[in-house]
Amino acid sequence: MTAGTLLDFLIITGLVWLAWQVVAGRELFRAIIMFIALGLAMAVAWARLGAPDLALAEAAIGAGLTGAMLLATYRRLLEHNPAKGGQRYARSSRLALPVAVMSSLLVMLLGLTLVNIMPVEGEVAGQQAIQLMQAVPMENPVTGVLLLWRGYDTLLEMSALVAAWLALRILQPQDAATLPPLSSSIPLLQALLAAAVPIAVLVGGYLLHAGGKAPGGAFQAGAVLAGAGVLLGLTGSLQRSTRASRLLRAGVVLGLIVFSVLGLGQLAFGQPAFAIPGLWTIYLVEGALTVSIALTLLLLFLGSAGVRRPAP
Amino acid sequence: MIALDLAVVMLLVVGCGFYLAGTIGLLRFPDLHSRLHALTKADNVGLMLVCAAMALASRSVRVALLLLIVWALALLASTVSAYLIARHAHMARGYRT
Repeated sequence: MTAGTLLDFLIITGLVWLAWQVVAGRELFRAIIMFIALGLAMAVAWARLGAPDLALAEAAIGAGLTGAMLLATYRRLLEHNPAKGGQRYARSSRLALPVAVMSSLLVMLLGLTLVNIMPVEGEVAGQQAIQLMQAVPMENPVTGVLLLWRGYDTLLEMSALVAAWLALRILQPQDAATLPPLSSSIPLLQALLAAAVPIAVLVGGYLLHAGGKAPGGAFQAGAVLAGAGVLLGLTGSLQRSTRASRLLRAGVVLGLIVFSVLGLGQLAFGQPAFAIPGLWTIYLVEGALTVSIALTLLLLFLGSAGVRRPAP
Repeated sequence: MIALDLAVVMLLVVGCGFYLAGTIGLLRFPDLHSRLHALTKADNVGLMLVCAAMALASRSVRVALLLLIVWALALLASTVSAYLIARHAHMARGYRT
């Protein structure tokens, strides 16, 4: 057994064990921590499979943002009902076991089918895509495929984010009740913010720029920027607000609008919709997507339609 | 070259030793403050040694500088989070700062 196989085995057993701990955990808090650990282990697994794009997205969104969201919800839960802290799980629904067994069987069948597929002779779609990519000035095939052949997917993902924000706007409590922010007078915390937020902005910009030739792109960049916003929100430097300013609303829909206008504009030139005419469009679209993704993820974390600066 | 590789292996082994010690401390020490002490100190040194090993193994100044930034960021984050956890425990016991 080589060291690589051993590592794979460790990652796989770790993933299964962590997933089991998440659903069968004894306490709510423990389950949340296990979920975050599961996200990190998933990121390691993706990196090991040679998919750094997915690893970045999983670490930033799956472990980071979702974990922070779950922890914030847990704190909210304790405020409403302190007795829930450390409470054992009630037994889950009777459907849980059959659903879990059926899902595992399905995944196992899919896995077996994949293992049994013979390598296809001749040209396959992936090779054709890589060959066609030579014509486009894109060195990162992931961003290329996402924008060139999966334009509709990306567009629908953006629509889903905007729809989530709209739902948030409708469902948010009207009394503007905010989480009590951490005391902003903690000097070390301010020092961390002073270092972490500019670095996050730098990393986000780098990921956006690098998306054309290396792992990165709009979703990863947006998630990192939203992470900086979450830090600011948790320390009280950004406060929740029930009203979204005009600028904020424009930012939330910016990605959808820029992508749609550029994509449909191609029809006027006799091109198919969502054809990408050049590198500048890619940077334009990706930049607009980054702004919208970062803002929407931040607002979803805060659970409010808008943000404002704290009153001095 | 062989001396360099030997140094890389030594640094990795010692670094992993620090991680192991920190983790055992986290699991076995009796109270919050000694656990924090074990975790932050041992892990920071462990990360430094592992980063140094990686920098030597890469034989590239650029990668070495990037790893230095990685270590500095982890240092900053673990310092602040350990401080916040300790502060929270301190306040929860009724002390006021």
